[in-house]
Amino acid sequence: MTRLNIGKILSICIYLFLFSFPYNLNAQTDWVRWEGKETFYQLPATHNHDYTVDKSSFGMILLSVLRNTYYFFISDLDGDNCPFEPSCSAFFLQSVKETSIIKGTLMFADRFTRDLNFFKGMNHYALLASKKFSDPAYNYTLHSAKIKF
Amino acid sequence: MKTKTNKRFIVAFFFLIVLLNTANCQLPTAGNIFSPQNRLQFGNFLYKDRDYLRAAEEFKEYLKNESNDTIVFRLANSYFKIGLFTEAVDNFKGLFFGSQLSEEARLLFYETIFFRNDYKSLRELADEKNYSSSKFAKEIERLKYMSYFFDNSALPDENLVLKNFPDTVQSRLVNFYQQKKFPQHKSPTTAAILSTFIPGAGKIYTGEVGDGITSLIATALTTYLAVTNFNADHQFRGWLFSGLAAFFYAGNIYGSAASAQIYNARIQFNFNKEVKLFFEQRNYFLPKIDY
Repeated sequence: MTRLNIGKILSICIYLFLFSFPYNLNAQTDWVRWEGKETFYQLPATHNHDYTVDKSSFGMILLSVLRNTYYFFISDLDGDNCPFEPSCSAFFLQSVKETSIIKGTLMFADRFTRDLNFFKGMNHYALLASKKFSDPAYNYTLHSAKIKF
Repeated sequence: MKTKTNKRFIVAFFFLIVLLNTANCQLPTAGNIFSPQNRLQFGNFLYKDRDYLRAAEEFKEYLKNESNDTIVFRLANSYFKIGLFTEAVDNFKGLFFGSQLSEEARLLFYETIFFRNDYKSLRELADEKNYSSSKFAKEIERLKYMSYFFDNSALPDENLVLKNFPDTVQSRLVNFYQQKKFPQHKSPTTAAILSTFIPGAGKIYTGEVGDGITSLIATALTTYLAVTNFNADHQFRGWLFSGLAAFFYAGNIYGSAASAQIYNARIQFNFNKEVKLFFEQRNYFLPKIDY
């Protein structure tokens, strides 16, 4: 009788061991749970610059290369500081592409002045999810049909 | 002996369970589930459940075998609800003559044209009176005048527009009419000219006071630096600041004109939004028709 009970208990133990084996293998140990984490204070980049060269015309190639140089030597080091979406450099390229080099430069001059304004946020621009002000180039081409809100 | 009884009991229990399940199961040969009547029933259920896309499919299948004006009306209405306006118009037209739902179909025909934003056709059809409805003449006339608020065509006389609407909304409609007829737009040319004489003035004219002041400061400061550098015989810096001053000055003139256009577009956008909301909240002064 006693021998039988011992056998039963033993088989239950073996069964429980086999049953819990895969769980034990993947169990989270206290060492992992309470391990100290190294704190990293650098803010994650909200967006990466697009280094694609626009090959639609010679002028656009030249401007794209200039913009990429600015990205590489200044903007990437300085950080993502432009409050607008698209950023001023991207806006300039979009403006030139959408209009002409002269009109695009005027649009950029206007954008640059607006960027200098300290109070630009007040009921002025739509705020995007990225916390940047929406200010697309097509709103400034002087074609009222192109303006979108 | 006891084991034998138990076995019998288990077998009997098993058969009982099988028997109960068999009795309750749905036989596939009970009838044709795709019969016109079943399709109609299912279509009606979907229609009441506002699943208009699938309801339209069921009604379409049903109408291949049977003829029923109410179902044609429901089919057309389903198409209308899911935005298939051309199909809706075609089906409503089929009810114009010799149907008890002719009047309702005519109203919904005009509604469909209105909601597909074809305001010009709506007005032409309403004026031609080929499909006019005696029961819903006032509603159709109202839709016609409402359409003037949604496109850029010239507004008719104020009294003509207003007489079709209830007294309770007259003051709001007068306000909309005035805003539409005399929009508070800013002239891009005026803005550009103002900025030519005083940098930033055009921006202030369009309500962008902060941008205007910034333009004035940027242009004035760079001009001052250019002048002082030339006076001090610093030619390179003089030309550098002259270029910057020209850059800010020209950009400000261009930006003032653009700013006036954006201002006008914003006025138009807000007006359209307000008008749409006003009529939407009142269901476009249309009766609720459902069959």
